[in-house]
Amino acid sequence: METSGRIATTPDALDFTVENVEKGLHQLYYDPNIENKNLAQKWLMQAQVSPQAWQFCWALLSPDKVPEIQYFGASALHTKISRYWSDIPSDQYETLKTQLFSQIACFSSGSKMVLTRLCVALASLALNTMPEVWPGAVPEMVRVFQEEGGGVDGRARCLALLELLTVLPEEFQTSRMPQYRKGQVRGALGREWGSVCPLLQQLLRQGDSPGAVKSRVLRCLSSWVLLDVPLSESEGLVEDCFTALPDPELFDTAVEAIVNAISQPDSQRYVNTLLKLVPQVLSLQEQLREAVQNGDMETSHGICRIAVALGENHSRALLEQVEHWQGFLALVNMIMFCTGIPGHYPVNETTSSLTLTFWYTLQDDIMSFDCERQAVYLQVYRPVYFQLVDVLLHKAQFPSDQEYASWSSDEKEQFRIYRVDISDTLMYVYEMLGAELLSNLYEKLGRILTNTEQASSWQHTEALLYGFQSIAETIDVNYSDVIPGLIGLLLRININNVQLADTVMFTIGALAEWLADHPVMLSSVLPLVLQALGNPDLSISSVSTLKKICRECKYDLPPYASNIVAVSREVLSKQIHKTSQCMWLMQALGFLLSALHVEEILRNLHSLITPYIQQLEKLADETPNPSNKLAIIHILGLLSNLFTTLDISKQEDESGESTAPPVKTAPLPPGPNPVVVVLQQVFALIQTVLSKWLNDSQVVEAVCAIFEKSVKTLLHDFAPMVSQLSEMLGQMYSTIPQASALDLTRQMVHIFARETDHFPPIKALFDLVTSVTLSIFQQGPRDHPDIVDSFMQLQAQALKRKPDLFLSESLDVKAVFHCGLLSLKFPEAPTVKSTCLFFTELLPRCSDVPPVARVVQENGKLLLQAVLEAIGGGSSRSLMEQFAEVLFSLNKHCFPLLTVWLKEALQAQGFPSTRVTTEQKDTFTQQILRERVNKRRMKDIVKEFTLVCRGLHGTEYAAEYCL
Amino acid sequence: MAYQLYRNTTLGNSLQESLDELIQTQQITPQLALQVLLQFDKAINTALANRVRNRVNFKGSLNTYRFCDNVWTFVLNDVEFREVTDLVKVDKVKIVACDGKNTGNAAE
Repeated sequence: METSGRIATTPDALDFTVENVEKGLHQLYYDPNIENKNLAQKWLMQAQVSPQAWQFCWALLSPDKVPEIQYFGASALHTKISRYWSDIPSDQYETLKTQLFSQIACFSSGSKMVLTRLCVALASLALNTMPEVWPGAVPEMVRVFQEEGGGVDGRARCLALLELLTVLPEEFQTSRMPQYRKGQVRGALGREWGSVCPLLQQLLRQGDSPGAVKSRVLRCLSSWVLLDVPLSESEGLVEDCFTALPDPELFDTAVEAIVNAISQPDSQRYVNTLLKLVPQVLSLQEQLREAVQNGDMETSHGICRIAVALGENHSRALLEQVEHWQGFLALVNMIMFCTGIPGHYPVNETTSSLTLTFWYTLQDDIMSFDCERQAVYLQVYRPVYFQLVDVLLHKAQFPSDQEYASWSSDEKEQFRIYRVDISDTLMYVYEMLGAELLSNLYEKLGRILTNTEQASSWQHTEALLYGFQSIAETIDVNYSDVIPGLIGLLLRININNVQLADTVMFTIGALAEWLADHPVMLSSVLPLVLQALGNPDLSISSVSTLKKICRECKYDLPPYASNIVAVSREVLSKQIHKTSQCMWLMQALGFLLSALHVEEILRNLHSLITPYIQQLEKLADETPNPSNKLAIIHILGLLSNLFTTLDISKQEDESGESTAPPVKTAPLPPGPNPVVVVLQQVFALIQTVLSKWLNDSQVVEAVCAIFEKSVKTLLHDFAPMVSQLSEMLGQMYSTIPQASALDLTRQMVHIFARETDHFPPIKALFDLVTSVTLSIFQQGPRDHPDIVDSFMQLQAQALKRKPDLFLSESLDVKAVFHCGLLSLKFPEAPTVKSTCLFFTELLPRCSDVPPVARVVQENGKLLLQAVLEAIGGGSSRSLMEQFAEVLFSLNKHCFPLLTVWLKEALQAQGFPSTRVTTEQKDTFTQQILRERVNKRRMKDIVKEFTLVCRGLHGTEYAAEYCL
Repeated sequence: MAYQLYRNTTLGNSLQESLDELIQTQQITPQLALQVLLQFDKAINTALANRVRNRVNFKGSLNTYRFCDNVWTFVLNDVEFREVTDLVKVDKVKIVACDGKNTGNAAE
């Protein structure tokens, strides 16, 4: 083993001899040391592509070697033929071919894996030489293997031939050849089908063919049909596949072959063949029923795949054959049987899910006919789709509680997914069946809920409601007249099960938009929702339903507001819900309060948040520890979520009929906004909290979130708090800098920087956070990529909204510029993006902001160098567009300087990459300087150049890169 | 055939960045990187087709649409996305959609 270890490491390692290869293989397979294995692997890969491979591969195939060694020989042979074809002089093609034939003959009764590799090698040779050099490759293969001799028995030769014929199309599919050549070879292979087809047919029909041969024939057929051989020509063979289906040994391969043949895109052209296939598929119904009865899932699955393949791929063609409508309808019914296959998915069956896409396809095809024909088809197929709804809702039913409890969590998740798929199908089917579908569901629900003689199962009720919910969730059910009745029925349901209760809740939620148009019904459903709110098991469904109702129906909710607030307060204080549901609940209350009068809002707000304020006061007094931190963040979160949706500015414009998104220009009610009133009241408290938690980024983030959400909703209403908040932000940031404070500052700059009244506090804040951040840069900014990111965004925003901020004496523009240069080299992509944005906003200001012009003039070359370095390979390739934007901006706003800088920067040897030549750099320079209008073009130039710099230019990998 | 559109996702971009780096430092060949990328296409297509069933509803006004090379593109304005819990409003959305059935085949 030591000697073999030497192979991969010593200078004579490149001596690719048979012995060394064998030693290398031994090392690869048996050396316990993983490093030696890796070395051996690397060495063997080199050996495989070396010129010597042509010699040693034959020796490795010698009969006295073990299969692992023979396999490597065969594999090397394939690599050489497929990738180094041009090595072979054309006068040696024939010898190589003969040698391969004889090796395949030898191995036809030897190792299967070696045989397959050799077949692939010969297939590759055939693909390289057909059709000119080796016309009639397939007949020759057939002839060679049919000749007696070599001491190999006929059956083994036959199997070897079939293996060869199977891998030939597969090798074609995976081989990489130029497009024109691919077309040529495909055509040649298509012609070869004429020789393959009779052979396969003969072997399949011979009564005495062994199962192994027949199975191989079916695999071979599967492989050839993928080449788009005309269905009319493979028709006979496909029929033979049907005859093979009852044979368990051949079942799987026969199914595969049939499905492949039917699913070929081209097969729709052969309508007559398709029509002949319909009765064949129908004849499988008996076998299908038997399999279902015996619980034979493999067989039912296979037959279903065949039926679905025919229906899904050819429903349009078959529907158009009007005179054969009964046959197609029978096929549809067969698929319906598969959809409704007995048992619960996924525990007792997995077949039904295969059929769902068929129903979409069939519906699309029917609906795409012109009105007149569509009406005819609908007469036949509407009843079918009504039946489908019944079947699907039956399949969507939960199993008995006991059975469900025995399912694994994975099975439960699969079942949930399956129900979502059913729900999607129902929603789609509604497009065809319309409001009648809802009436139909309603009648069924009514029947089971009012039947006093026979108690119905909760599963049945739940499934019907689930159907309703699936449709109402996405489709406007306004014109259905059954919804009031449905709500009446909802109240009658004896809710004795969590799943049922959940579905009741979600159904009410799905009707929220309808309720907005029919507010009179709110009084019926609200008690149900409020009651469910107190049940922790229904947390998600009840809270989300309340949120939907509050969002959609807020203008009709004022009479119920105090009740909703009271119940919400209670469940919040009892801590029934998890944090995220509490947040949703606050959002719901925000919507609810938005529609009240200001004094009502204030009254409710106080009653709602006073307990939290008191709690927060208490927490603020305590010594910081992990548990009171969570409590503080929770309370701050509740407030932010409340203020996210509490928006009185929409009162005016949304009460109108307008469907356009609200524009916040409506006159506001007199007096301060209630949110501002509350914020001002709690401001001191928040400051106290902050003073203790200033170095905790999560608490600071939660505080910033309150104001960020409020500013977003209040916009200019927030004005009274601008100076207060600016001061607080400044204090916060100068004590412990946090990214969230910068983000909030950016928002303030965005909204208020242009307003004369607010400019002074904003300017003071901007100057302060900038100088604090500059000092972070002096200490080393690498630990704070988030702060740097937010800082660059803030600077970009300032340049965009109020460039005057850069005129300030107290702002060190040069230092900010240098910070940008440092940030460009960060490994964090978002930070680099923000920095590029900063520079693209900065450069246009050269014309109107003198300090900026000065800094760019003096330091612009450094920026250019940093950009070139990034393009040269220093930064991720996904950022090249951003760097191209900076270059473009330099070109547009500093052209004379850029010309000089580019020349100077690119003069340096090996800059920006050792892979680019001086000529390439010159071309790049010329291209860049020429491009002052077309940004897209600039991006292309940069992308091209970066590939050259990275050694990726011209590789297939780079061509595949999608950015 | 596995679609390549998921290369332009956070996950896909990170993978490509790593592959780029490995090529630049000559630790792998571009050919191997390409194989990894193709494997990524397969895996993400299968995973998204078979393992995700979250549902988001949205509505908005259709600005433009096209169907080219089996790819649907829709540009929507003033779109509201509704998940069970949340409502998000967006001014402009571009939706690129391909036939999921093909990816199912690729998975086999």
